[in-house]
Amino acid sequence: MNWPFLIYIFVNAAFALLISPFYMSLIKKIKAWTQRRKGPPLFQTYYNIAKLMKKEVVYSSNSSWIMRTTPYANMIAVLAAAMFVPLAFVPQGFDGVGNIILFVYLLAVARFFMALSGLDAGSTFGGMGSSREMSLSAIIEPTTIVVFAALAFTFKTTNLHEIFTETAKFPAFVMNPSLFLISIPLFLVIIVETARVPVDNPETHLELTMIHEAMILEQSGRNLALMELSSAVKQTLLTGVLVNVLMPWGLATEFTLQAILFSMLAFFAKAAAISIIIGLFESALAKIRLFLLPHIFMLAFFLSVLAILLEVF
Amino acid sequence: MTLGLFWGWIMLENLFFAGLVAWFAGATLPLISISSDSKTFRRISLGIYAIASLLLADVSLFAAYKNITIAITIYKILPQIQFSFMLDRLSALFVLMISVVSLCASIYSVGYVEHGHHKVRKNLLVSLMGFFILSMILVVSSANTFAFIFFWETMSLSSFFLVMYEYEKKETRKAGIFYFAMTQLSTVFLITAFVVLYAINGSFDIRHTAFADPSLLTAVFLLLFVGFSIKAGVIPFHKWLPYAHPASPSNISALMSGLMIKVAIYGMMRFLLFALAPELWWGILVLSAGIISAILGVIYAMKENDLKRLLAYSSIENIGVVLVGLGLYLIFSQSGLPSLAILGLAGALFHAFNHAIFKSLLFLTSGSVVYSTGTRNIEEMGGLVHRMPFTAISFFIGALSISALPPLSGFVGEFLIFQSFLDSHALADPMLRLLMVTCLSSFALTSALAAACFVKAFGAVFLAVPRTENAQKAHEVPKSMIAGPIILAALCVVLGIFSRQIFKSLGFSIDSPDLFFIGVFLIASYALTFAVLRAASSGKVRISETWGCGIISQNGRMEYTASGFAQPLVRMLKAIYRTEERSERKFFDSQSSIFKEGKAEMRLMQFFEEYIYMPIARAVNTASKAVAHLQTGSLDDYIAYTFVAVVVLLLVVGWII
Repeated sequence: MNWPFLIYIFVNAAFALLISPFYMSLIKKIKAWTQRRKGPPLFQTYYNIAKLMKKEVVYSSNSSWIMRTTPYANMIAVLAAAMFVPLAFVPQGFDGVGNIILFVYLLAVARFFMALSGLDAGSTFGGMGSSREMSLSAIIEPTTIVVFAALAFTFKTTNLHEIFTETAKFPAFVMNPSLFLISIPLFLVIIVETARVPVDNPETHLELTMIHEAMILEQSGRNLALMELSSAVKQTLLTGVLVNVLMPWGLATEFTLQAILFSMLAFFAKAAAISIIIGLFESALAKIRLFLLPHIFMLAFFLSVLAILLEVF
Repeated sequence: MTLGLFWGWIMLENLFFAGLVAWFAGATLPLISISSDSKTFRRISLGIYAIASLLLADVSLFAAYKNITIAITIYKILPQIQFSFMLDRLSALFVLMISVVSLCASIYSVGYVEHGHHKVRKNLLVSLMGFFILSMILVVSSANTFAFIFFWETMSLSSFFLVMYEYEKKETRKAGIFYFAMTQLSTVFLITAFVVLYAINGSFDIRHTAFADPSLLTAVFLLLFVGFSIKAGVIPFHKWLPYAHPASPSNISALMSGLMIKVAIYGMMRFLLFALAPELWWGILVLSAGIISAILGVIYAMKENDLKRLLAYSSIENIGVVLVGLGLYLIFSQSGLPSLAILGLAGALFHAFNHAIFKSLLFLTSGSVVYSTGTRNIEEMGGLVHRMPFTAISFFIGALSISALPPLSGFVGEFLIFQSFLDSHALADPMLRLLMVTCLSSFALTSALAAACFVKAFGAVFLAVPRTENAQKAHEVPKSMIAGPIILAALCVVLGIFSRQIFKSLGFSIDSPDLFFIGVFLIASYALTFAVLRAASSGKVRISETWGCGIISQNGRMEYTASGFAQPLVRMLKAIYRTEERSERKFFDSQSSIFKEGKAEMRLMQFFEEYIYMPIARAVNTASKAVAHLQTGSLDDYIAYTFVAVVVLLLVVGWII
């Protein structure tokens, strides 16, 4: 292991932690604007996290160590996943770091713990959320893997670092039609994985609609802050994959301060653009009935298989 | 291993032999005192098992690590027919797997066997368990097909008796008879294949095959594949497995699900890798069988509420995963891509090994749960994490591992298989690549469903509030029943974290991610997160009740049930479950607004039973009835039959010659 790599790990994670809450508020703001409301301030999520840190943690008397470890497990799994998605600077490859499958499964670790914590307190809401989350994640999994397989087939590698190096080197690669095809299902995967409309509604606490919110209903205080922060980082990471595949302009591959700072700024702007699209997408759609969701997933699946077909023949 | 290094390889044969003798001695000991209820005898016997396991684990680890072959001949009946054994790397790996699992199962059994009431049965359980494990060790180390089939049969017989342990239950008798019929069917296929192999080779040697007509070899392959598939529980030959594995005592379930189905996998690997010359379509067949088993196995597991049956279905899934790896190996090696082929094979072997470990872990811990609560129905459990903390943590590690979550061992095998799927763009044939993508997406569904299935199992059994009084009164099991599973849980962690180093030390250059690094990173970031929170947050904690929308004092009836948890998936996958839903409603008034009474039922169609097994069973029954007409019971008729048979035989023989 070399020192730029260590610095990369630290800086990348810190960068992701720093900017992620911003996008959560940004999406809320966009949704508010489309409804002719003023909306929360752009830094509201930071305030929320700071506020939650100061509050006490309330544990249910039924809950066990699952409830207590889940926030940490979520955070560290997402932080480990952050190594895999270079947001601003692509380091020289290190064994296995950047592997697509490991990335997907690190996110699965976070989900596994979250689903169990939903069941831990014995609340019906939590159980409902866990059940729906695990069902939907199982149904979307083929699509997720096939999207990443399409990337792997296109770039002939399974390492995200190598894929990004490739796209950063040849921005003209953007004109590759299969990348456009891949980006649509990838966008849908982001929507599903980050619990957004039309799959889930992050804003309500009504049992008919909620999935993610139901699972973390029993979390409180600093634990809730960790959960919120880790799902924000998860969203940034997935957005990062889309950004760096589809619009890699400015992504730094050499280790200089100037390039990296510029690249960070560029990433910040590009991810904001994606967040605005997510916000508009959310405003334009209504929540879809749970049992109709597999249809959307089929659409995403079909598009990614189409991308693979393009590469195969 | 230190022992092996110290004594040198000259002594390895003797050590191996000593291990086998120790197993035999341990297994005969309880038979000597069969009618006395002597705890000490059983303990000594289980102690001997543990020592013999350690010895064999030592020898096989050394043989696998140094890649040397140990060969011994124990008994020669005829020059051709002899009981000779050898440990090459493949056999050593399986012997190691069997030894490690049986070490932990023996420790577990010290506490477990004592909860029975029949003294003869307790002694028999210990003794048969020994013979069962010894037979498995001898099958995987057989050097010729004669010894292989002999010990295959002793393995089947001893496990049949173990399944019938609680024979007074009707359900168990049904399971036992079904198992026996299927296992004999598998032997029929194997014996036929071995006879053909003998005709080709002129010897019973297991290691190589003389050059022969390809169509003959294909026939041998198909016979072996069906024979081993029946024993391994590959769909559609799986139906006996979800009956037989739950019916037996839990320590035996662990051995059957963790090891015995692996012995069938060993057989498949032995012949496909060394004895036969595979063709491309063999690989496609194995891959398809694997995918179908994996996906249907986990889908049925998702629905199941019987804890041990859920695990049995999950074994079918994992056998499917192993077959997928093996199929990929065959396909890639026939397409001239040796590095990818090794990836697939390494995935299959590593997953087989790990499945033995985490599945026996899960079966042993669920055995503890059944021991404490007295039920196998997960709807009647709940809240056990507070009552059985050690069992809960062991089960949890097993669940993490079987859900293929990094950095535990279950992830590594599936990862290698995923990796070889994703690298399949190197294949030349576009149709093959399409097949790969199709299989890849089904494979992805499999592992995600496994995670859902084990969230359900762990959640319903261990979390929240007890749903019944029995679960309320449950308490932690005796120490030995904690110790056995804990060793296996530790192995799940170690084998995952050090997977890359293990591959390297065995001399395989496999590009698997460094999970040790990931593990260190996870621990470091945990420490960092903890420190930051300690400094930045208030640190106040309060214990209160779960929010129940204003309802005070929640009870177990209000929480989410296991069936409820599975319901969304059951509904989405309705076409596969073939559930039939029917509801009838009656109303007091004509506008159908005041509800009077109603009936709703959901029926699960047993697809394989209704469409494959029962038609065959019915056909056999009809045929036997037709034949039964000949059996009149009068001696004259039988003499007449004999006379006719002799005449016909003479005519036929005369006509041929």
